[in-house]
Amino acid sequence: MSVAYIPVQWNPNKWFYDAVLVLMCGLYIGLFLHYAPQFQDVTRPVDTAVHRARALGSCAFFMLTVILCIGPLARLDRRFLPLLYNRRHFGVLTCFVALGHAGFILDWYFAFSPVPQWNALLSSNVSYGQVLGFPFEAFGIFALFVLIVLAATSHDFWLSFLTAPVWKALHYLIYFAYAAVVAHVTFGVMQDLQNPLFGMAVALSAALVSGLHLWAALAEPRPETEAREGHWERVGLVAEIEEGCAKIGLLTTGERVAVFKHEGTLSAISNACAHQNGPLGEGRIVFGCVTCPWHGFQYQLRNGRSPDPFTETVPTYHLKVESGEIWVDNRPNPPGTDVEPIVIDPAAAAVKEAAHEDA
Amino acid sequence: METAATLLTVVEYWCYAGLALAAVFLTVGLDRVEPNARVSFIFRPLLLPGVVILWPLVAWRWWQLETGRDAPLARHRPPRAWHRRFWIVFACAIPAILILGLIVRQDGPYERPAVLLEPPEASQ
Repeated sequence: MSVAYIPVQWNPNKWFYDAVLVLMCGLYIGLFLHYAPQFQDVTRPVDTAVHRARALGSCAFFMLTVILCIGPLARLDRRFLPLLYNRRHFGVLTCFVALGHAGFILDWYFAFSPVPQWNALLSSNVSYGQVLGFPFEAFGIFALFVLIVLAATSHDFWLSFLTAPVWKALHYLIYFAYAAVVAHVTFGVMQDLQNPLFGMAVALSAALVSGLHLWAALAEPRPETEAREGHWERVGLVAEIEEGCAKIGLLTTGERVAVFKHEGTLSAISNACAHQNGPLGEGRIVFGCVTCPWHGFQYQLRNGRSPDPFTETVPTYHLKVESGEIWVDNRPNPPGTDVEPIVIDPAAAAVKEAAHEDA
Repeated sequence: METAATLLTVVEYWCYAGLALAAVFLTVGLDRVEPNARVSFIFRPLLLPGVVILWPLVAWRWWQLETGRDAPLARHRPPRAWHRRFWIVFACAIPAILILGLIVRQDGPYERPAVLLEPPEASQ
């Protein structure tokens, strides 16, 4: 949360996160450079510059694999949420590692090119009409371009300026980048790979990313619209919601609303955090404020405003309770609109819950 | 070679246009459309690569905010409708790419017989 932008919003947690990242990265590259030459065919020794390019390239691939695994893991198990917290720094570091890989490739294979290096790279293989021998460099260039775009738009300013939905749509390019990287590796180094170790690691990484995304997609709970009367839509029962938690309802407008129970009252706000559209309904109430599980942005329940001095706001919704059932007006109020919380009648809620259980 | 050179020239001019927009946006526009940036200057160079690459998008958003066409509620509608289907397609595409790449390997399951190439004319 910020009232004035600074270059990098570091805090002790992010320092620790970044230090571990850099350490792991350095360790991988060091081990690769030390041990990879031992796996080479001695009749065809690979040059040091190529080893360096491969060390950085494979490092970027595995970093991207981990980045993509974090999303579904955090959806499947809340204990992975801390990894999501600083994932953008992870992405920026991956971009720099990938740039290093590209730099080594250009400075080795095109060092003495009579034309500019990028021109030589783009024109050295143009067999786009065939599968075998397809210019795998194009996949790598596309992935590198995407990583640069995503790193360049990683500052919180971009989220605010473009809006979270546009920013997220842009950052969905990471999936296309990963597919391109898999193609770059498969149609590139793996075409000539004699040692199966790296091939197995690539296959395992791809299987992990695919499996986790499939698992998370199929396991994701899908809220359903329950009933509707005019603009009012039923989203559930009062007794279904635990104290300090929320019920997420899907409205017929396509929007999701988070109905929170807090100190004997009910309040409804948009489920989408103003920062990165994180699921507020999966967050907890800390010091009287809903706290986003992704990055900790906070909102007051009765008006959807971040506590001073912060300025973020989310839409609020009007609520009513009839016979223990929660009804939401599906027309969102402008972000930050004050709505009086509904005081829960314990008797009515309990009666309806008993009837629900009997049914 | 010519196609590559043309492509790189297009990229070059794209960057020039981006730099021109960035010069105006980062000095004048930013203060007008982003309240949290009004007293912040050190972070602005960090925005330069993004503005240069995405200058049409930046120009569009700037125009929207300047002319009051921004819809405040739109920023609370995440693109979730197709998210699940997208993940499923992605999960299937990755192994498909990998398997295709392994199938076309020269020493893969569908090995192609080696073809004797004609010697270059100059050496004949």
